Amino acid sequence: MEILILLVVLVILLAMGVPVAFALLGSAMATFFVLDIPMIVAFQRMAAGVSVFSLMAIPFFIFAGDLMYRSGIAERLVQIAEATFGRPRGGLGLVNVGASSLFGAVSGSAIASASAMGSTLMPLMKERGYDGDYAVNVTVTAAIVGLLIPPSHNMIIYSAASGIGVSIGDLFLAGIIPGILTAGLLMFVAWRVAIKRGYAGGRFPGWRSLAKAVVFAIPGLLTAVIIMGGILSGIFTATESSSIAVIYTMLIGLFAYRTLGLKSLFNAAKESVKITAMVMLIIGSATAFGYALAILEAPTQLASLITSVTSNPIAVLLIVNVILLLLGTFMDMSPLIVIMTPILLPVVMAVGVDPVHFGIIMMINLGIGLVTPPVGAVLFVGAAVGKIPVEDAVKSIWPFYSALILALLLITFIPQISLALPSFF
Amino acid sequence: MSDNRLARITHKAADALLIVSAIGLLMMTFIVGWQVFGRYVLGSSPSWAEQSALTLMIWFIFLGGAAGVRDGFHIRIIAIENMLSKPGRRKLRIASNLIVGLCGLAMLWWGGELVIRTWSHVIPSLGIPRGMAYLAIPIAGALIALFSLEHILDDPAEKTSVADIQGAEIQIKGGDL
Repeated sequence: MEILILLVVLVILLAMGVPVAFALLGSAMATFFVLDIPMIVAFQRMAAGVSVFSLMAIPFFIFAGDLMYRSGIAERLVQIAEATFGRPRGGLGLVNVGASSLFGAVSGSAIASASAMGSTLMPLMKERGYDGDYAVNVTVTAAIVGLLIPPSHNMIIYSAASGIGVSIGDLFLAGIIPGILTAGLLMFVAWRVAIKRGYAGGRFPGWRSLAKAVVFAIPGLLTAVIIMGGILSGIFTATESSSIAVIYTMLIGLFAYRTLGLKSLFNAAKESVKITAMVMLIIGSATAFGYALAILEAPTQLASLITSVTSNPIAVLLIVNVILLLLGTFMDMSPLIVIMTPILLPVVMAVGVDPVHFGIIMMINLGIGLVTPPVGAVLFVGAAVGKIPVEDAVKSIWPFYSALILALLLITFIPQISLALPSFF
Repeated sequence: MSDNRLARITHKAADALLIVSAIGLLMMTFIVGWQVFGRYVLGSSPSWAEQSALTLMIWFIFLGGAAGVRDGFHIRIIAIENMLSKPGRRKLRIASNLIVGLCGLAMLWWGGELVIRTWSHVIPSLGIPRGMAYLAIPIAGALIALFSLEHILDDPAEKTSVADIQGAEIQIKGGDL
């Protein structure tokens, strides 16, 4: 009964347009009130939810990504992708996917990737006769690849929410092959659709300009190497290596690229603080919300419901995926990771699923939620950058959804795709 | 943007909060960087680094979050709002601002209680009360209540920002989604 209050209040508040963070907090408070639990507990949970050392990596990843973007690396990544993938029909579609994957390696956020790639590539695509809906479809679905390619701040949230200390280094490694796989499937779809629509192919820009772009991009892409190297060698924690990455991007932006000034550096800090505040406030409220769910024993009930239906790992994973896809369509990614990880992880671990593997499943699954209406932050940003209504973008997005779903199924049912790489280290 | 006095003051306040928060982020970056430097170059890691970085983060999350209420950059669903007529939309926004404001008051009240209760607990490496870190919650709560009151009295604009990131300021007009 009380669980109904929690969920109904949440849905009403979200529908009313209350910001997600406050909708979560408000519905948790309503439940605490009905259950007669001291209200201070809600705020204790909220404070505890954000007082986590490993979460300090989140502002650093966001900051480093923003600094990279301001250094002008997005254009260079596009040039590299153009030289590599640009020649076949619909080349710019492939370029978009390739550049988004590269950008995913310097930035940890799908929204940032959609807005950076969208503002860089969409005008170019339109100029060369690509339709707006195609440009938006490619951009937003390609942004999901960035969730899988390390660094990914959602993986940090997953690691913190797991409660069993799933290794961030393993998660980062595990995301690489699934990211490349997803990018490959999206490129295939982008190419097929482009042929059907009769888009022209591109030209090779010449070795000279490719070399220039690569030389420009190398210091930026080294950021990813610093982060991964630091974590994998065990020299730094994820938080430490991401702070080093920020200082490093500041230095190359100021002194090597010379595209960053002190003013844009400070603006980057301001923008990063905004996104961090938004994400972390949601994490705090989601922690209070998850606590309310736990008091109502919702996790154990859902778990016993799933296990009473089946104990077949394949069926359990299918059910869990369907639950996450449904929730993902109307809820944002980070609160779902905070709320659903403690509930679902024990269920899948009981049927023998590796927690690292499950983390990757969650990333792509909830990533799909970011590009599906009614609530899809990445889709909305992409449509806004492309200046077309969301409905128009969604009408023709189905082939791209199919590619993402296929990637999800492959990643779900072939654990080696995720686990092969971490097993080497 | 309205040119009334309250709006001007809160606009300045929100900007000041973001500036302070941005300085907090920069400090946090250098503190954690210093920690690494200390451990590998100086041979000893400063004991205060980790806790002070975390305390800074808690502060700038909540202060930045409060600024987000003023500037409207928190993620929210505007699908239903956009289906309504203009007066209906206005009413819905008043209701949702009211809820945000009440959440702010709750943060002020019970967050304050949390501060009082954790004041005697001293963070060992810093020597300051744990409540000092959580003091950001009631302060942010008061600001959030103030900012939503302002939005109730004076709807900022017909514009709703869905995302405002990476320098690409994306403002979506009511009818676009």
